Formats: sequence, C-alpha cells, structure tokens
Amino acid sequence: MHNHLIEFKNVSKTFDTTEALSNINLYVDENEFLTLLGPSGCGKSTLLRLIAGFESPTDGQLLFEGQDLSSIPPHKRKVNTVFQKYALFPHLNVYDNIAFGMKIQKKSKKEIEYEVGRVLELVNLKGFDRRSVDSLSGGQQQRIAIARAIVNKPHVLLLDEPLAALDLKLRKDMQIELKNMQKELGVTFIYVTHDQEEALSMSDTIVVLNEGKIQQIGAPCDIYNEPRNAFVADFIGESNIIDGVMLENYKASFSGHTFQCLDKGFAEGEPVDVVVRPEDVDIVPEGEGMLCGNVTQVTFMGVHNEIIVDIGGFKWMIQTTDSVNVGERIGISLDPDAIHIMKKSEYSGMFGDYSSYSNELDELSDPGRDE
Amino acid sequence: MGVSNTKLSSKIYTAVIFAFLFAPIVILLIFSFNESKSLSVFSDFSFKWYKELFNDRSTLESVKNSVILALAATAVSTVMGTAAAFGIYRIRKEWYKVLMNTVTNIPMVNPDIITGISMMLVFVFVGQFFGASTSLNFWTILIAHITFCLPYVILQVLPKLQQMDGALLEAAQDLGCTPFRAFFKVTLPEIFPGIITGAIMAFTLSLDDFVISYFTSGNDFQTLPVRIYSMTKKTVTPKMYALATIIFFITLSLLLINNLIDNEDSRNLRKIKKNRKNKKYVLAK
Repeated sequence: MHNHLIEFKNVSKTFDTTEALSNINLYVDENEFLTLLGPSGCGKSTLLRLIAGFESPTDGQLLFEGQDLSSIPPHKRKVNTVFQKYALFPHLNVYDNIAFGMKIQKKSKKEIEYEVGRVLELVNLKGFDRRSVDSLSGGQQQRIAIARAIVNKPHVLLLDEPLAALDLKLRKDMQIELKNMQKELGVTFIYVTHDQEEALSMSDTIVVLNEGKIQQIGAPCDIYNEPRNAFVADFIGESNIIDGVMLENYKASFSGHTFQCLDKGFAEGEPVDVVVRPEDVDIVPEGEGMLCGNVTQVTFMGVHNEIIVDIGGFKWMIQTTDSVNVGERIGISLDPDAIHIMKKSEYSGMFGDYSSYSNELDELSDPGRDE
Repeated sequence: MGVSNTKLSSKIYTAVIFAFLFAPIVILLIFSFNESKSLSVFSDFSFKWYKELFNDRSTLESVKNSVILALAATAVSTVMGTAAAFGIYRIRKEWYKVLMNTVTNIPMVNPDIITGISMMLVFVFVGQFFGASTSLNFWTILIAHITFCLPYVILQVLPKLQQMDGALLEAAQDLGCTPFRAFFKVTLPEIFPGIITGAIMAFTLSLDDFVISYFTSGNDFQTLPVRIYSMTKKTVTPKMYALATIIFFITLSLLLINNLIDNEDSRNLRKIKKNRKNKKYVLAK
C-alpha cells in the first residue's frame, strides 16, 4: 500500500469533441513542489481544474489520500487555488478577502484576526488589511491571492500561472519567495506554468505536457539533461537535435562523424535523435574540430554570444563566451557528456533545427504564448 | 467665418431641440400655478390647483394604487429578472442562449396595445373558465406589469454578469462556499448596480404605463394614468397640470439617481481598464 497524496489513474478529459487530457497517470506526494509545464492548450490548466473540482474526468479515476474524488464538490476539497488573474473579490477589502474562507467555516473572530495578520506578514503585506484590492499593484494582488488560499491551511495549494501577469523582475523575486513559502509551510504545491525557467528553478518534480499527454516526468536536472523526446528537449531550454545512428553502446554517428557518448541500450544501427545543448559545444580552431562549419549569425546576449553555425547544411546553435564573427569558419568539439541520445518519437524532425531561427520571430511569437 | 457659422447653426439646432423637448413641460408647469382656468392668460400665481388636487380623494386613491402596484411589480420583477438573468448567463449551448434572449425581448418590442389586449383576453378567458364574475383586478394588472418589466431587469443584470470575472465564483467555491452561497456572497454584490438600475427602470415603467394598465385593470383598481385618461374625457382641470408637474419631478429625480449610479459604475469600469492597460505596458517593457 503506497500513500500518495494525489493519484491520477488513466484519467482522460474530453470537451465536446476535443480531447484535453488523454490517459494521464500521475501521482503527487506530500510536501512536493510539482510543476505542470507545457505550451498553452496542452491541458495543464485542465489537470489543475480536475484537482480543484471545477471539471470532472471523462474517464479514469482521481484519488486524493486514497479516496475517489469524483463525488466530492469543490467546496469540500482540501485544496485551495491561486487563480491566474487572482480572482480577488472586488467588493471586499484585503482583510475580508483573506478572511473569506475562514468566515465560511465559522471560525471565531479572534482566530480570524490572528490568522489574517499572520499570513499578511508571511506575504510581506503587513498593514494592508483595510486597503481595497483595486488599489493594489499586480504583485501585491498576487500575494493577497496566495494569502487568501494558504490561510485556510490546505493540504495542497494549486497555482495556475500565478506569476504570468507580473513583469520579469517581480516574477524572479516571487519565484524565490514562493519556493521559500512552500518549504516553510510544508504544503504540497502544484504549479502550472508555461515558463520553463520558472519550472526548472522552483520544482522538485516537473511534468511536461503536450497535446494532453504527459511527455516526461522527472526532477528538473533529469528533464534538462535527459529529455525523453524532441519535444521535451526543445521546450526545456535550447537544443540542437540531429538525426543520428547508434553504432554500438557508447558510440553514435551523426553529421558524418563518430562520437563517444554515455548512452547505451540501443540496438546496433538504430536511428536516434541526438541532443546537444548549445552551451555544451566547444569552439576550437578549424583544423582541430570534430566538425567544421561557417558562422552565419552572431547575437550578443549579455552573458554569452548566441551563434548559428552551418555544419553540412544543418544549422547549430552554440552559446559561447568566445567572440567569433559572421563568415568565420570554425571547428567544434563535443565531449561525451555533451551528447544525449533519444529514441525516435512522433516529434522527431519537428524541432531542434535553427535554420529558420531568428530572434525577431521569437519575440513576435512570445506575447501569444503569454496569453 | 465658416467655422463660426457652423457653430452658430449647431447652437440654434440645440436650442430648437431643447425647446421642443421641454416647452410643453414648462408650459404645464407654469399653468399649474395659474389662478384661473385659462390656458392663455396667466392671471395670478397660486397653489389653488395643488390644494384642489390634494382634496380629490379618488385621484389620490389612484396615486396610491399606482405606487403600490409599481412597488409590487418592481419587487417581483427584480427578483425574477435577476434569477432569469443568472439562468441565461449559465446556459452553455449557444443556440439556446440566443433563443432565450429573443424570447425575453419579445415583451419589450411587442407593441403595448397588443400586449395589453392579449393579456386581457387571457385573464378574461381564464376568469370565465373558473367562473369568476369579474376577472380583472389588482392581481391581473400586477401580472401584466411584471411581464413587461421583466425584460428590462434582465437587460440590466445580464451584462453585469457577463462583465464579472467567472473565476470569482470558482474562487468562492474553492474557499468553501456551496454554489448557492457563492451566488449570494460574490455574484450578488458584483451585479448589484445592475439590479438597482433594473429595479428603478421597472418602477418608472410600471408607474408610467397606461396602455397595458387600461386593458388589464378592473373598475375596483384604477391606476393614475388610467384615472387621468378617464378625467380628460370630461373637462381637463388645471389640477391635472399640478399632478403632472409632481409626477414629472418624481420621475426626473429617479432618472437622476439612475444616471448617477450608471456614471459611478462606468467610472469604476474605466479605472479597471486603465489598470489593465498599465499592467500590459509593464509586461511589454
């Protein structure tokens, strides 16, 4: 008998004819910081809403502390939600917003006063009790939304892209604060985001979702270093994904060269996807490189330069602190641990080529992602 | 030259419009204070007709009837209309929503005279069916008034519901409210301005109605507009001017209250929109 806090067993959810979630198997443990990560429309919010009770599964079973959740309405579940746009009650002030849940539970006035004071201190908004929620900034509203949820001492706190509406600086600060808060409170956090950096920096476990299916579950470093398929490799960080062949254990061939690697367990001659992270590529003089190519683009990013190199028609992205110029011919060298081998998947060939890459395009498509 | 010409003509235009709108009321107002009965000569200022009005028992009775009716119709149609708006708001099927909206609007676009006659027919028919001697009374006119007030309440409340952030209801449930309780604790305060506006509209419409009241009221319950109409069949005395003046000012003050609420509301809305814009700006930076 295992005692997971929350368990999804073959859960599917269909809206009209579109399948939002298909065959989800997932468990969440006590005190875990679990992040649901994926692009918009991947089903991550639906998954959260299933736990909160705002949606019910079309198929499968959802267990909470071993009990089936299907017959339990949202107001009886031991979870609280921090909504994406906060959903603070505009007709109530800060104090009454936070006290809302406790008043419903008919807690004594003294206890309510004490608890509201305590959580206001926790979210660094002491003395804001009587302010109207409209007068608060986005970051402050966000903290009140968190305070309103945690004051009820939920077993699980559900957070639906709580930082999406904040600007970058504030978002970074809040990430650290949220993580600290989670440790301090000892509450399980289930956190929904499309921001991979946020997921990597905060989570104990990341669940990568796409098109309603779980792509990979793992600790942040496992997800980053050993992505299971091209989608994960591309979505988490930047990746060069090259067609290759596994010659034997620890030996792969791609781009016309044979490389030493750390992967094994593939069939001899099996076609694979090879992932090389842009920061793991060493730039060497032309003659000393395992591969050679022409630099086609250099972008200064502050900490490093992002360069695009054409190697045999395939454009690689390399992040380096060396300075190189467009048109220069360079060699590259790869250590065995820079290479990660993945089995072919439905996403093979869809990601990881930077031939159409441009910073401008990336920026243009970014606001859409934020919605 | 050209500019000042257009300015002048637009001023004249405005003046003419206002003259047409308000001259009748102003004349009515002036002659309600006239000592004599004449409509051409203002002989002396007096409250004579006001005094006479307040001595006219049956007119006062009809005022009382109108107010009671308006209050009752307002109370019922506000509660029913709010519930109906919430129902329509919760409909998920698009075609069903359109259907319900259309059905709701029928009493509003239907000519009053048709509503009046058709309701009278129903009341008389049902009355005869149950063998009642007189089928038109307070209850029939109340039902009629509720019927035509209802769509106006719905029309005021529904947009307020649609403006509301749907996550608020979910948040309330998340914090332990049953859906029923969440409605009273969160939805109701949110849509309250719409409910008040709807109620005021219902009240003025009910007070004001003549055509439908004429067809659906019996002899034992006469509303003020019906009473005035029956009096004008004989001779119009200036005490009717006095009455009309009083009614005008009551209606005017209700309208003012209504507009103040609306204004407050749209100001809040603008504020929210501005905040959102600012947030987007920060995000873009």
